[in-house]
Amino acid sequence: MTLSRSQRRGLVGAAMLAALLVAIGVATTYFGSRYQLRIVYGAYVNLMAVLALQVFMGNARITNLSHSAFMGIGAYAAAICVTPVAMKKISLPSAPWGLNAFELDPFTSALVALLITGAIAFLVGLFIVRLSGIGATIVSLAVLVIVHSLFLYRTDIFKGNQAFFGIPQVFTLTSAVVLSVLMVFVVRGFRESRWGIALRASADDEVGAASMAVDFHRLRLIAWVLSCSLLAVAGIAYAYFLGTISARPFYFNHVFLTLAMLILGGMRTVTGAVLGTFLISFGLEWVRWLETGPEVFGIDLPEVLGLSGVALGAVIVLTMALRPGGIMGNREIEEFALGR
Amino acid sequence: MEYVAQQVMNALSFGAEYALLALGLAIVFSIMGLVNFAHGEIIAVGGYTMVAMAALALNNPLIVIGAAVLAAVLASVTLERVAFRPVRYADPTTGLLTAFGVSIVLQNLFLLLVSPRPIAVTSIYFLEWPIDLGGIRISSLQLFEALATVIVIVLMMLFLKRTVLGLAMRAAALDFEMVRLTGIRANRVFAAAFMISGLLAGIACVFIMARRGSVDPHMGFDPVLKAFVACVVGGFGSLPGAVLGGFLLGAIEVAILVILPQSLGGMTDALVFGIIALLLIWRPDGILTPRSEKGDKR
Repeated sequence: MTLSRSQRRGLVGAAMLAALLVAIGVATTYFGSRYQLRIVYGAYVNLMAVLALQVFMGNARITNLSHSAFMGIGAYAAAICVTPVAMKKISLPSAPWGLNAFELDPFTSALVALLITGAIAFLVGLFIVRLSGIGATIVSLAVLVIVHSLFLYRTDIFKGNQAFFGIPQVFTLTSAVVLSVLMVFVVRGFRESRWGIALRASADDEVGAASMAVDFHRLRLIAWVLSCSLLAVAGIAYAYFLGTISARPFYFNHVFLTLAMLILGGMRTVTGAVLGTFLISFGLEWVRWLETGPEVFGIDLPEVLGLSGVALGAVIVLTMALRPGGIMGNREIEEFALGR
Repeated sequence: MEYVAQQVMNALSFGAEYALLALGLAIVFSIMGLVNFAHGEIIAVGGYTMVAMAALALNNPLIVIGAAVLAAVLASVTLERVAFRPVRYADPTTGLLTAFGVSIVLQNLFLLLVSPRPIAVTSIYFLEWPIDLGGIRISSLQLFEALATVIVIVLMMLFLKRTVLGLAMRAAALDFEMVRLTGIRANRVFAAAFMISGLLAGIACVFIMARRGSVDPHMGFDPVLKAFVACVVGGFGSLPGAVLGGFLLGAIEVAILVILPQSLGGMTDALVFGIIALLLIWRPDGILTPRSEKGDKR
């Protein structure tokens, strides 16, 4: 199998990003405190979510607002499979269909969760891909609300806003770094694949692409299912590290956090997704510190809850007004090393 | 009989609320292609104005209602000038994400500057009393809401059909460049669209507040999500579509509330959206969108 020029360049770019991700991971493992380790782990989970989101949003250029719901589906599905029976007897005493009477090993659970999320994504995708851009966005928002109300309503399975606890903590920072490196290659690979190129072409010119025999409904569905499955991976990584999950982290706040990351970096490129995630993850830590009302140069600042939300919203608005393509626009990282 | 009449009134008043909001979204979308996610925050601005009025000890209901509607109009026009002008001619995705960002900023500003908790507003409870109509008891609020919506729709139709600015707005939805060539100022058309949108949100706000009696930073989200769905069902950007979608959604919601047992109450919205999804399989572009080929210049 021979690779095209853009695919070879894609490999170089993905390798450069991978090196960066490994470097940050190694630095944190050796020099970071426990608290910093958790922050960086969170950043890697968000990175996986943003990369997954890029697969659909970046290539099909349709805004998806339901991504956190699919992350939640993956996390809950894996959590229900992997949590030991003894633990589930306590936490889910009235779960239906014998959900609290079996347990699987972490790897099988993750596979089952991926299959379930993929199947749900396929069914939802059948609707989403047929709608025009704006309609698809609104329906994806409705999907987010539906999934969230299911999580809240079936407390016997998902425990709603309470913590679903007792998930074995099998992941470390290393696992998250390895997974996100793999994901960078997958996502970049999809972008430069036949499908990715045809999908981007159809986003630029639907009629033109269709006249070249591009079936964009089918391609969107492929990108959608891939995107949602990768989101499930992010959700599983979240659950396997923290050991507890609840419905809240898979709702609005997470949607616009990850969306701001992708938009700031530039949703058309994988490099943009990585850059935006790290800029916002670390910037937000600083804003959160301001939020608690610290003392700066002898001035005692007041406590301002909600500042991080204002900052995230402002990032989105300013990026759209000043640089709609995000920081990276259409450029990937290897263009700095190899030229255009 | 009475039960049926009450449910019909419920459906009408739900539908009226969604139709008002959906119209406000559709008029902005038809002209500048902007999906205004910040519409819900306009409602919240109206709600917080009522709180401010109560704090100023102004309890005359006309002043409270007038101030809330005025505040909503002003907020809507201000947003157009401050936030949406830079993305006026950008593609829909850019506009949508900008509006999404504006909505987040406003919600968090309410949270930061006012309070994350709901604040009670009692000054417009007087709108609600039972009316006896030929032996059937219905709520006055629902009657007002349905009537107000009908009046607003009629007035808006007159405005769009009989005035120059209205004509310009209808034309702008088809071909903005042409409208500008005839000497109509673009700024006026946009300002008018946002003014109407704010006015509709302000009127909806009065009814929403009379029903829930409190205001919180996220109060606009649920009604506006429904209004969005109404727009999608009716055909995005189509004004008759928005009204039809709004009333259809109201009817479906009440039907589900009637059919569904109490224990499944939390699932109402999920079911409503599910039915809407099925409708969209039948007409992916919405019910009232004319059939057109991709690439047609509309």
